[in-house]
Amino acid sequence: MSGSNQSAAAGSASAETRARVPGWLTNQNTILVGVLILLTIIFTAVEPKFFSVATASNILTDWGSVVLIAAGMTYVVISGGIDLSVGATVGLSGVIAAYTMANVLGYSQDISGSAAYGPLSIGLLVSLAVGLIVGLTNAFLINVVKIVPFIATLSTMGAALGLSVIISGGQPIGSANDFNLINAINPKSIPFSPAVLVVIVVVVVLGLFLHKARFGLWTYSTGSNAFATRAAGISVKRQIVKIYALSGLLAGLAGMYVYLRLGAGSPSSGTGRELDAIAAVVIGGAALSGGVGTMLGTALGTLVLFTVQSGLIMAGVAPDWKKVVVAVLIAAAVGAQSLRKGGRS
Amino acid sequence: MKRSFRTVGVLGAAAALALTAAGCSSSSTSSESTAAASAPASAAASSTCAAVAPADTTIAFVMGAEADPFFQAMKVGAEAEAAAKGVQLIWQGDPSNYSPETQIPIVDNVLAQNPTALVLIPTDPKALQASADKAVAAGVVVANVDTHVDNLDNTLTFITGDNTDGGAKAADAIAQAIGYQDGKEYKVVIGLTSKTATTNVARQEGFTKAVESKYPGIKIVDVAYSESNPEKAATNVNNWLTKYPDLAGIFAIDGTNASGAAAAIEAKGLKGKVALVGYDAYPDNVAKIKSGIFTALIAQDPAAEAKQAIDTITDYLANCTTPAQRDVVIPNVTLDANTSEADLAKYTYVATK
Repeated sequence: MSGSNQSAAAGSASAETRARVPGWLTNQNTILVGVLILLTIIFTAVEPKFFSVATASNILTDWGSVVLIAAGMTYVVISGGIDLSVGATVGLSGVIAAYTMANVLGYSQDISGSAAYGPLSIGLLVSLAVGLIVGLTNAFLINVVKIVPFIATLSTMGAALGLSVIISGGQPIGSANDFNLINAINPKSIPFSPAVLVVIVVVVVLGLFLHKARFGLWTYSTGSNAFATRAAGISVKRQIVKIYALSGLLAGLAGMYVYLRLGAGSPSSGTGRELDAIAAVVIGGAALSGGVGTMLGTALGTLVLFTVQSGLIMAGVAPDWKKVVVAVLIAAAVGAQSLRKGGRS
Repeated sequence: MKRSFRTVGVLGAAAALALTAAGCSSSSTSSESTAAASAPASAAASSTCAAVAPADTTIAFVMGAEADPFFQAMKVGAEAEAAAKGVQLIWQGDPSNYSPETQIPIVDNVLAQNPTALVLIPTDPKALQASADKAVAAGVVVANVDTHVDNLDNTLTFITGDNTDGGAKAADAIAQAIGYQDGKEYKVVIGLTSKTATTNVARQEGFTKAVESKYPGIKIVDVAYSESNPEKAATNVNNWLTKYPDLAGIFAIDGTNASGAAAAIEAKGLKGKVALVGYDAYPDNVAKIKSGIFTALIAQDPAAEAKQAIDTITDYLANCTTPAQRDVVIPNVTLDANTSEADLAKYTYVATK
């Protein structure tokens, strides 16, 4: 049962949809690509500069930080959980990394270019470690203390926010940085930055793990039927530990990505990002009830979010409309999902 | 806020009215004078006044967002002055969300601890009105710092930085940096955090008015919100730089926007090419005046605001004296490459450690 759910969700929706409509037409990812093309046409019509390498670079830069936590969230949501702590963890890991670089090791913000690689590598290790600790704490609260994921991760979110303020004194902490890592490789022709290329590789690997490896299969089965999964001899608890640890680790990586963008660790740098990640995952076709979702969907969902954001800024639309547009997209994505389900019965 | 701006033009009339009908609200956001007239607080005085000893006094501060260095610097000032006056201090606020949704329950919790006085930094002038009224009804002396509730009738004092004037100073700094000449056209954008924070509104209004009256060639072509996240502020600036390749200047209206805008400008190698005027003297940002990323920073004095609030409250509690002026305005200052080291150090926001 769980296996068939997975493969259906993973792409070949054709068997699940109404007889006369070709499968690829109702596939969430096809729809998202269509939405992206449509958005590009509309925004370009309003502001011709939207169709440019510079805009693509802006969108990809934003995409990079949120798609990392959204990828972790994809695993969490497919397993039937939720991780509200990722935004706060982005801030906390960036702050602790920056604190280590600036206050422990004494690297000032004047260090730039390749001289910054050493400090940045240390910062990366620190932020990954911080993310991992938060993720393991979530798993502990869920597995051992038996708190539901929503409340467990809400608690760690609060703790992470508080700690990041205590450690930073509420201040952004600046240290060594090389902004070239976050800039487009060639602003005229290649919109990808070195950091975004790394993120793309990470997301592809995570996608392969989700859809081709046993780890992914067990994630789907945990989310669609934890009881049957347990009956099949799989340790759901161990799977939960791995999933939340992965989500935390990715939030730590995102924390370092945001550090690269700002040249500083800032306690408020992850504010609200957990909601962006959840929105991206849902727009990408995952169901919060668990068992359904794809990595490509999440990647495209995140891309839709930031295309809307850049487009609305470029078009000079009042910023409040962004929230309305995103709300409509979420409702449409969930609506499409339940319509597909309805068509089957 | 809007209403109070209308009253600025007729301050004299408002003050006269206030004399006849005690309780009329007129907020002095006028830029000229720190002595702008306003109605004496009838309010806090309306509850029967009995002197309270400092040892029995608890002053609760409920601020906007702990993560904001502005409030960290205010906390330093509040703690020092509370210790000096020998009163208890309760310091509360959401860790990072500057929003009424999170602030209202915090005020409720603080009031449950029966403080003698409440210093409220309302995150929304309307949404927090009920909380302020509730405190007054419970016999708690209420003061506003930085931002204020719509109706200040029952507030002992309202102390703020002169944000309108700060906005005007930002306009001057941008005009100077771009070498403003009449007849030429310059594109400028404003990075905001929230539509409802009265400080944002006042700075934007001050900036806009100064531009309209003194620098008609400067066109404010866009605004966007950072939602308290510096990365979002950087995103806004990236998109503006794409849309306006000839962008002359950016007014980053607070510390969050200043951090994000500075990162975007530095990353794109536009240091010195786009005039960047920020707000709030975070140490990290003050360092960027020296490296030339910021044309100027407008700084407030949050520690002085907190000190003044505690002094006014303890005075009132000890002697039943209401302040001569309900509204107190502490001027903002411009920090730039010409500012002395001593002044830079004085205005840089200290953090609690």
